Amino acid sequence: MNRSELVFPFAAIAGQEKVKKALILNAVNPAVGGVLISGEKGTAKSTLVRGLADVISESVVNLPLNITEDRLIGTIDIEKAISRGKKAVDYGVLHKANENILYVDEVNLLSEHIVNCLLEVSSSGVNKIEREGLSFSHESKFILIGTMNPEEGYLRPQFIDRFGLYVESRGSRDIQERKEIIKRRLEYEEGPIGFIKDWQKENHRIRDEIADAREIIKDVVVDEELMYFAADIARGGNCSGHRAEISIVETAKAIAALDRRKNVISDDIEEAAGYSLPHRMREIPNVNESRRDPNNNDKDTNRDETQNNASSNNSKTDDIRNRDIENDDISKRNNNNDDFMNKRDNDLTDEQIGDNSKKNDKSNESSNEPHSQEKIEQPLYNDKIIPLEIKSTNNVKKIKGTGKRTKVKNDSQKGRYIKYSIPKGKVSSIAFDATLRAALPYQKFRNNDKVSIVIDRSDIREKIRERRTGSTILFVVDASGSMGTKQRMRAVKSAIISMLNDAYQKRDKVGMIAFRKDKAEVLLPITKSVDMAEKRLKNIPTGGKTPLASGLYAAYELLKSYKVKEPDTEPLMVLVTDGKANVSLNKGKPIDDVLHMAGMIRNEGIQTMVIDTESGFIQLGLGKKLSDEINGEYYKLEDIRAKELKSIVNHRG
Amino acid sequence: MENIKRQYPFTAIVGQDNMKKALLLNIINPSLGGVLIRGEKGTAKSTAVRALADLLPERKEISGCKFHCNPEEISECCDECVGLIESGDVTKHKGKMRVVDLPVSATEDRVVGTLDIEHAIKMGEKKFESGILAEANRNILYIDEVNLLDDHVVDILLDSAAMGVNTIEREGISYTHPARFVLVGTMNPEEGDLRPQLLDRFGLVVEVMGERETEKRVEVIKRRLEYEDNPEKFVERYIQDNNILNERVMKAKSLLSKVGYTDEILDIVARLSIELEVDGHRADITMVKTAVTNAAFNGRTKVMKEDLLEAAELVLPHRMRRRPFEEGVLDFERVKQIIG
Repeated sequence: MNRSELVFPFAAIAGQEKVKKALILNAVNPAVGGVLISGEKGTAKSTLVRGLADVISESVVNLPLNITEDRLIGTIDIEKAISRGKKAVDYGVLHKANENILYVDEVNLLSEHIVNCLLEVSSSGVNKIEREGLSFSHESKFILIGTMNPEEGYLRPQFIDRFGLYVESRGSRDIQERKEIIKRRLEYEEGPIGFIKDWQKENHRIRDEIADAREIIKDVVVDEELMYFAADIARGGNCSGHRAEISIVETAKAIAALDRRKNVISDDIEEAAGYSLPHRMREIPNVNESRRDPNNNDKDTNRDETQNNASSNNSKTDDIRNRDIENDDISKRNNNNDDFMNKRDNDLTDEQIGDNSKKNDKSNESSNEPHSQEKIEQPLYNDKIIPLEIKSTNNVKKIKGTGKRTKVKNDSQKGRYIKYSIPKGKVSSIAFDATLRAALPYQKFRNNDKVSIVIDRSDIREKIRERRTGSTILFVVDASGSMGTKQRMRAVKSAIISMLNDAYQKRDKVGMIAFRKDKAEVLLPITKSVDMAEKRLKNIPTGGKTPLASGLYAAYELLKSYKVKEPDTEPLMVLVTDGKANVSLNKGKPIDDVLHMAGMIRNEGIQTMVIDTESGFIQLGLGKKLSDEINGEYYKLEDIRAKELKSIVNHRG
Repeated sequence: MENIKRQYPFTAIVGQDNMKKALLLNIINPSLGGVLIRGEKGTAKSTAVRALADLLPERKEISGCKFHCNPEEISECCDECVGLIESGDVTKHKGKMRVVDLPVSATEDRVVGTLDIEHAIKMGEKKFESGILAEANRNILYIDEVNLLDDHVVDILLDSAAMGVNTIEREGISYTHPARFVLVGTMNPEEGDLRPQLLDRFGLVVEVMGERETEKRVEVIKRRLEYEDNPEKFVERYIQDNNILNERVMKAKSLLSKVGYTDEILDIVARLSIELEVDGHRADITMVKTAVTNAAFNGRTKVMKEDLLEAAELVLPHRMRRRPFEEGVLDFERVKQIIG
């Protein structure tokens, strides 16, 4: 018995019926196009995929997260080159995966470059090797199976679209089922070999079922009418491209075949849509987002608004619901959102809900701002993530097509080695494998008495690394009395929370400075603890005057010394203020001090994003002026809170 | 070995009972999934882990195997050992379980292993040079300041910890070897938290705090000074205590497979997880295993409710947080109530 045979039996996994079915459907019909399993930790996601190998004839090829490009695509075979002087291919994982299942655990943590390679091959079905003097290609058609925990970040749309099906796995809420799960696991751990034997029969039954369905599916036909139905559903879900309907039809065929039928019925299409659509339906505006759309705020009070949005949300999904798709995922998702929002509403008093009503803003705008009062406003939590993109500069090259804050650096020792390059200057980190391969073709010309391979200076290759960390974001927050009016601070905190969510997923370092009364305070030095930033943020009180210049000075000092300590990083300062300074740094006019500091920050080359909180009828435009002086990216707070931010951010860098 | 300063004895550590218990339970039952020790600086976290070395059991290893494969468990062996066992060509010896360090600065190739460059240049052959994960197989993998570990190294750890296998597809090398280890980490939460995903991989979590009683604090100082003054003599003084504990651990180990539990225990565990809205099923399974191990540690062959209570305290708190920013607080009164 080999290690690879010793896995928890597929049939013995209690519950998770949808996940199991999605996997089986793929085994019946590879045209279904793979499956992405998303779910909380500890829900047998990986166990299921590994168990699958026992009930199908294909093998499950594992793609480890830290794979390097050469092992993914294939490269020159070192040993053959040396022993026989021949150029032969050392095949990579994409070759192993051909006609098999390619499995990526924690697929959302895969490096961008590897994802790009995967996307290219998975769309063409062919892997082209053009490297190290080799020119070669082979078929690489695989079923892509990925598991992920959404807490750790999402996949980009092009990638998620590659997965034919999508299922969510979650822990069971049934006591008997939970007990069964514990029992079986412990039994397995006590004697895995006996346990596997006990379940062999059941595993075989599943295998036979799949084998039968594979025969049946050859004869399964789909009426044109049902194809229209599938297309309608896909259109109703606002899916782009045609992958959705194709996936629905192929999945429906597999469902019919599993049910030993040769004709697809409308129930099959509906069931299939439940697997093929959820991850492609992103474009339906959910309650969450539309509630925050500032354009809606003018006419209605918030209570009405919630209802309006809920109903408009319904009407948009009507297309789908009218067809009676009793699909868990689609309807549950929307329901979840409803529930979620309702719960939030219940937590708030009417007064608090008024926070994003412009009516309130207008009537209060001209009133005097209380400087003395001190209060703490709590942020509104939501699942929204506001992406912050750090601009790339000269020594930081960006991989094309990435929307993420992933950087490639040649000079850094940190990060994951993914591929190599020919060095331009001093080599700090040699890619030995690539260097060896580069040296191979020349061996017969070189004197090699003592060693098998002689390496010349020109063979040297260096490592290119990619890492997800490295960004540093310093939030500089105006906490003066003016921020306390009209619940502006609540809006600011909510927006920052959303940015912190993004920072967490991208593993950024964060720091926080607040300024009010007569000074600035470093609430959090730069740290990896995004949690801590959130805690500090929550407790920032508002009140007092606006020592904006002090805030800028504190940020300048902090970032300047940080850049000395961590020369690799490109810190971003996010400055949240209305620009109305009224405390000077020295003895001059407050506004002069502010502009002076802004100039210093600009000259230091610190990237800045200015979020202007000024709102209402009379606007002084000081925030804009500050932003120009500091050479920052300028946004109004409303922009940040609305979904337009996404497009704004995409224009950067 | 002689000129290395003697390790501070495990039994000489004052207080910190939860931490000591969690570590011991993992030695008795390495499948519990390790311990994360969270606490402020200077609370004997590292000392306790290092001191464990004295208490670690002996076991059989296949001679010459880089992964210290178990000759009696072919299913957990590396490919070479499987071959050896099948051909009946195995030589084995007794080896001691060890604490293997993973320094925070470790690079990825040192962790997972890499291409043996010297061999490649001299012989023109590809050979796998094993890394820390190979060393860690069947041992304790200890990471001090685990929260400061580079993110991509954390990802690999997660992968290996989940699969019990290290798969390498890097730098021209394609290789797979067993990597089952007891993960022990320490961290100071002030310096940033762990990702929930990694947190969940730790079977047990303990919070340590400095002693609050003056008397105990004084005792801590006294013992430390005595130890610094004359380590040999100090260690000598605790040999007997250490031996007694060692015996207790060995006895518990042999008792482990005989411990039974009632259906009611399972029922309570399932209810706990549902009512406290714990993510996934890992908590349930670990809770039962911890209770079983705790019973064995106490010389019993039947799991009692108090075992479950102790297990819940070690297993549940870190699994209470639901989203990155949500403060998870374990309502221990409620746990007590459900356990009854």
